[in-house]
Amino acid sequence: MRLYEHEAKKLFRNYGIPVPEGKVAFSCPEAVEAAMAVGLPVTVKAQVLVGGRGKAGGIQFARSLEEVEKISSEILDADIIGHKAQGVLIEKKLNIEKEFYLGATIDGSAGKPVVIVSSEGGGDIEEMTRTHPQKIFSIQVDVFKGLRSYEARDLVKKLGLNGEKLLKVSNILYSLGNLSKDYDALIAEINPLVQTQEGVLFAADAVLEVDDSSLFRHPELQLKAMERIRDELEREAKKLGVTYVNLDGDIGLICSGAGLGMATMDMIRKEAEPANFLETGGGMTKELMAGALRVVMKKKNIKAVFINVYGGINPIDQGAEGIVKVIKEEKIKIPIVAKALGNRQEETWDILEKGGVKVVKESQTSKAVEELFKLLKGPE
Amino acid sequence: MAILVGGETKVLVQGITGRTGSVQTRLMLDYGTKIVAGVTPGKGGQKLHGVPVYDSVKEAKEEHHIDASVVFVPAEFVKETCFEAIDAKIKLIVLVTERTPVYDTMQIKAYAKANETWVIGPTTPGVISPAEPIKIGILPANMFCPGKIGLISRSGTLTYEIAANLCEVGIGQSTAVGIGADPVVCTNLVDILKLFNEDSQTEVVTIVGEVGGVEEEIAAQFIREKMSKPVVAYIAGRSVPSGKRMGHAGAIVERGRGSANTKIKALREANVKVAEMPDEVVELVKEVLQEKD
Repeated sequence: MRLYEHEAKKLFRNYGIPVPEGKVAFSCPEAVEAAMAVGLPVTVKAQVLVGGRGKAGGIQFARSLEEVEKISSEILDADIIGHKAQGVLIEKKLNIEKEFYLGATIDGSAGKPVVIVSSEGGGDIEEMTRTHPQKIFSIQVDVFKGLRSYEARDLVKKLGLNGEKLLKVSNILYSLGNLSKDYDALIAEINPLVQTQEGVLFAADAVLEVDDSSLFRHPELQLKAMERIRDELEREAKKLGVTYVNLDGDIGLICSGAGLGMATMDMIRKEAEPANFLETGGGMTKELMAGALRVVMKKKNIKAVFINVYGGINPIDQGAEGIVKVIKEEKIKIPIVAKALGNRQEETWDILEKGGVKVVKESQTSKAVEELFKLLKGPE
Repeated sequence: MAILVGGETKVLVQGITGRTGSVQTRLMLDYGTKIVAGVTPGKGGQKLHGVPVYDSVKEAKEEHHIDASVVFVPAEFVKETCFEAIDAKIKLIVLVTERTPVYDTMQIKAYAKANETWVIGPTTPGVISPAEPIKIGILPANMFCPGKIGLISRSGTLTYEIAANLCEVGIGQSTAVGIGADPVVCTNLVDILKLFNEDSQTEVVTIVGEVGGVEEEIAAQFIREKMSKPVVAYIAGRSVPSGKRMGHAGAIVERGRGSANTKIKALREANVKVAEMPDEVVELVKEVLQEKD
């Protein structure tokens, strides 16, 4: 779950990381009020959950209240890289002298937290990993101890800082490390950390992405995570406990397992387009599968539904009962093709076939996809 | 010989009285797995499918010899459950639970390493060795058959599909291991690859990967430098846009790796035959077996 900049900055501030004076606003009048409170000139920043907003016009400066109103109205109406801004963050404009990059993330293969610093913040740090890798420094962190303050200092020293500056920047990095651990952050990032012409440091931006699997121990975020799903079907699926991604095609898809789901999509895309990606996870019940089919069928243009599930951890015979129940209740007439193998496969086939589902019993998903294509083309 | 497990491996089930634990214990017993005990704190003294249940791993160990444990507890209890097994000196833990917090996984991984314990998972379907026969985890037995292919997979259900495809043409598996597809897994793909490289029963290795992370790229390097057996691979998610990226910081760690294309390229450069679609894995394995003869 990614937090908005203004939410992340609130947490950063709690950890002693200096952030520019600012206020979030959800309308033009609120934006003007915020600018008056903060003091001109200000930076107006679109609150979107996507990177690269600066280049898309999502960050602009305003010298007068008229400008604040005009820019805020533009940003609140605009489409920023496919996202609508939740609001605008009005911040006191900084007189930038230098920009650093500080980041904390996870090295997946090593299975350890890492912290990363660079003296060349602000710009495209990803681009720099290709062009100037020597300007980026990182260390792995012990997952039990967390980042130690001396480790933070040693790393920041590589940027050529010393004295008071060394201590201030490394303190911010140390706090970022602590915050990452406390909030189960997959990413915590300050890009840029600005040093102003007055010699003061500020986290000018704040990125925080919290591990979704950890939300049970961050109840205040769990609530927000649900509200944040913009797509109505995706939200409904989340409540059900399945992963659903809304796509552009017209073939409904229900799979167990993300890998199998992705492979199935790869195959369907030879001749058709999936309307969705739906992955049940390992908690299948009759109710869950019934709910999954209902969610898939909510899109009006669905031409057929393709089900690809395995009975490993999942009781697929119970899942089949759910599918058949919905077909009957909703009087579904479009073709439904299913491949279901594993524990209790015979019982599952029997239930599905009696319910009017075309069952493909071979082990290759491609054979079942061919059957789907045949049904879509209709009788020859 | 199989890798990680053998026919005589004595297994403990942690979370045995839960819905999944109970059903899967029955299925493992039916397959031939030697389950000697189960643990659910507060349920000690009961019996389930004839298996005695204890309050703690320590108590179970006092009564039984235990080689391996399989974990079915909910995500919020996973860390404590694994620590308990590691502290009790169990040397193989199969962690089936989904949605374990990444920070917990990292701690389990570090603690397991310090104590020389194998933890497979989280989100693993488990380990199966059809010739023994033994399975530890949730893999459906009827999808697997004995043979000489070592199967390593990051995807549970896709493992079943590939194994079933292979069995249909009479090609069985020495051992199949699902390593899980979480951002951090306790045992990496390359670790299993090394075991198969040393395993006399395994002649060909099949890797089922997917987009994200750099497991396949690291494995490719090992294959190029050290692997003495032919390898066939399939990477799921070619048509998936790279939306699962972990932002700037993630990209710095991955350094331009992690997409289906970079994985396929790295594997092909290591002389691995990479299938375009899952069905083709069977054809490629057949080719490799013919070349060997």
